[in-house]
Amino acid sequence: MSTRSTLSISLRALRRNRLQTVLTITGMTIGVAAVLTMIAIGSGAETAIEDQIRAAGMNLIVVTAGNYKVKSTEDFGGGAVEPSAALRRNDEPVVRAAIWVPPTQTKGSDPFFFDPREKGSDPLVRVAFHPEDDPMEKHNHPTAKQRLGDSEAGLGSAATLTAADAEAIRGLDGVQYVAEGLHQNVHVKAGDKRWFTRLHGTDERLPLIRRAWTFGSGRFFSAREQSRAEQVAVLGAVAAQRVFGDANAVGREVSLWNQPFRIVGVVSTTSWMVAPAPGDDQFDAVYIPFSTVHRLLNLSKLNDITITAASTGDVSRVMSEVTKLLRARHNIGEDKPDDFTVTTQARQALAKGGMRPDVARAVVGNVGGLEKVTLEQLGKTLDRATRTMTALLAGIAAVSLLVGGIGIMNVMLLSVTERTREIGIRRAVGARAKDVRSQFVIEAVALSLAGGIAGVIVGLLAARALSQYLRWSTTISPSAVLLSVGVAAAVGIFFGWYPAKQAARLDPIQSLRYE
Amino acid sequence: MSTGDTALIAAHDITKTYAMEGAPVHALRGVTLDIRRGEFVAVVGPSGSGKSTFMHILGCLDRPTSGRYLLDGRDVSDLSDDELSAIRNRQIGFVFQGFNLLARTSAVENVELPLLYAHDRPVSPAERRRRAMAALAAVGLQDRAEHHPNQLSGGQQQRVAIARALLNDPAMLFADEPTGNLDSRTSVEVMDIFQRLKDERGITIVLITHEPQVAEYGSRIIRFKDGRVVSDHPNTSRRAAATELEAVALGPSEDV
Repeated sequence: MSTRSTLSISLRALRRNRLQTVLTITGMTIGVAAVLTMIAIGSGAETAIEDQIRAAGMNLIVVTAGNYKVKSTEDFGGGAVEPSAALRRNDEPVVRAAIWVPPTQTKGSDPFFFDPREKGSDPLVRVAFHPEDDPMEKHNHPTAKQRLGDSEAGLGSAATLTAADAEAIRGLDGVQYVAEGLHQNVHVKAGDKRWFTRLHGTDERLPLIRRAWTFGSGRFFSAREQSRAEQVAVLGAVAAQRVFGDANAVGREVSLWNQPFRIVGVVSTTSWMVAPAPGDDQFDAVYIPFSTVHRLLNLSKLNDITITAASTGDVSRVMSEVTKLLRARHNIGEDKPDDFTVTTQARQALAKGGMRPDVARAVVGNVGGLEKVTLEQLGKTLDRATRTMTALLAGIAAVSLLVGGIGIMNVMLLSVTERTREIGIRRAVGARAKDVRSQFVIEAVALSLAGGIAGVIVGLLAARALSQYLRWSTTISPSAVLLSVGVAAAVGIFFGWYPAKQAARLDPIQSLRYE
Repeated sequence: MSTGDTALIAAHDITKTYAMEGAPVHALRGVTLDIRRGEFVAVVGPSGSGKSTFMHILGCLDRPTSGRYLLDGRDVSDLSDDELSAIRNRQIGFVFQGFNLLARTSAVENVELPLLYAHDRPVSPAERRRRAMAALAAVGLQDRAEHHPNQLSGGQQQRVAIARALLNDPAMLFADEPTGNLDSRTSVEVMDIFQRLKDERGITIVLITHEPQVAEYGSRIIRFKDGRVVSDHPNTSRRAAATELEAVALGPSEDV
């Protein structure tokens, strides 16, 4: 039997009944679009939670130069995440150290030493600085200042971590990515525009750690630019907006410490947990290679090292490995305290605003004493929550597909009755019962497939609209698209089979006489 | 068509009984007859006489309740539905009173239909189209190929139906009241086509009609009544449609 001719018979028949065809396809379109959108929302929530809490928080370890001991009346339980209270109100732990100014420096002498976030800070926070943390002693900054002609250059650099430490951590088992960090407050100048913001000297691998990052234009700086300590910069979306407005910043030049820097990219986020806003640490910021900071400011130290553990359950072990390694590298005696601080950002990520309230409630509500919960427990809770949500959404979508399928069956049954005479004619000129059956099955499948493909398009648009206007996270994978189209075809075969069988069973003579 | 003398159709004691609301209806009560190649047989009889049922059985659209039916020497009484479909496709052409064209389908696509189901020898779409156009040209409708049935007159629709019936070069043509919906002049045109098919291509034609005048175009007239053949004789005074059409062309005549 020629499949091609059967197909052309079916398609011609569909063309002849246009309105019916369009209506049926519409029903199917809605079903498939619903399925796809629901899958998109479900898996979007899943990836979003995973990406944003786990990847960006749960498996993130930050080693900060200096040892900040929290003098708090509260003591967090053993085995729990140990967030420093100093981290609680800031995006990066290092901010305190970077902004801190020894009392010998009068605040009045330079207005930029004043940090508004310092005001009214938590009375629990008592930051004790490592003696080496005084940048003026360690790095001879007047020289750097004079050389660059910028009075702010090089302030607040911590002293105990080096790029070699970071390189050593890269060699540890269970470590996924490592990014060096040097943090400064700088003026970004372009023409007559000035913007006071955060500067991060970092590694070209930082975007691998910040998984929600997206480059609206341009790119992050490259390994080559890193190794040559080139004067290239990536602007955060907020900083770029402040300095260049809506114009494209890529390719333009800005000045940092009176030195020219070429902008290679503007970074923003796909996250619904963190929206770029003035004053935030990630997007109201400028990123340059840490080697460039070292070269220009004549430094060899790092403020911090950001590490991701390859697996969430491995964070505690990696933390202790890092501690061991650094203590050995820094020749710290058994009875001496660390000259660095190892923390995780899990708790911080959860407590930070911007998370979808229902998710935050679900997570926080499910984990009574958040401080005491282990990363593993938190991970399991999230897994359970997202699995339930995905199952629920898939259930709703399945119902709409079922309705679409019944619609197809209804139309096909009607069509068989309506086209009884046509069936008789076809039988008279030699169509076999199975030819008639395949024609109607193929018609049903064509209807559902057309609906399926239209549904995929509508679903993609709907998912996009959801993430754009409601800022819901949606993910559509190729396998979800294939699944939707496959299910549509299956629905067509399943619900088209019975009407087609009815059509094939019709008696040729009765059909020919049918009015 | 090599064996002109053997019977193309050999029906022996054919009966057909329907169950109509429980009560059996005897549509055919034992019909025996042979039809040779190239005959133009007109079957007449009042409605309910069983002539249509007989044609359906001969046309392999229906199966007899009992009796033997040899088509071209092959017993088709208990062939499977698929085999009967193949016979309809290859050997039989049908023309109906109501034309039975697919609505919203162009004339040429209607004519192509049998070739779509020629499973034993598939035909390419281009070849299908070529043959359908040739068949339309043979009935003088090549310039109406893209018209839909509702854009054609009754006579034109019936000519499309004839083109369709002839597309697979069948040995037999079964016509069930082909002129029933046509005016007298168009009826003569259709009869002219039938007579030429018989004379020029040797096609066997079985024409079912209840109009005695139409039956007069056949070369043999069989009369049915109550499911039985009541008379069967050659038609010695055959009407010649071509001559009548010429006469009409020369001057309007009242008797056609």
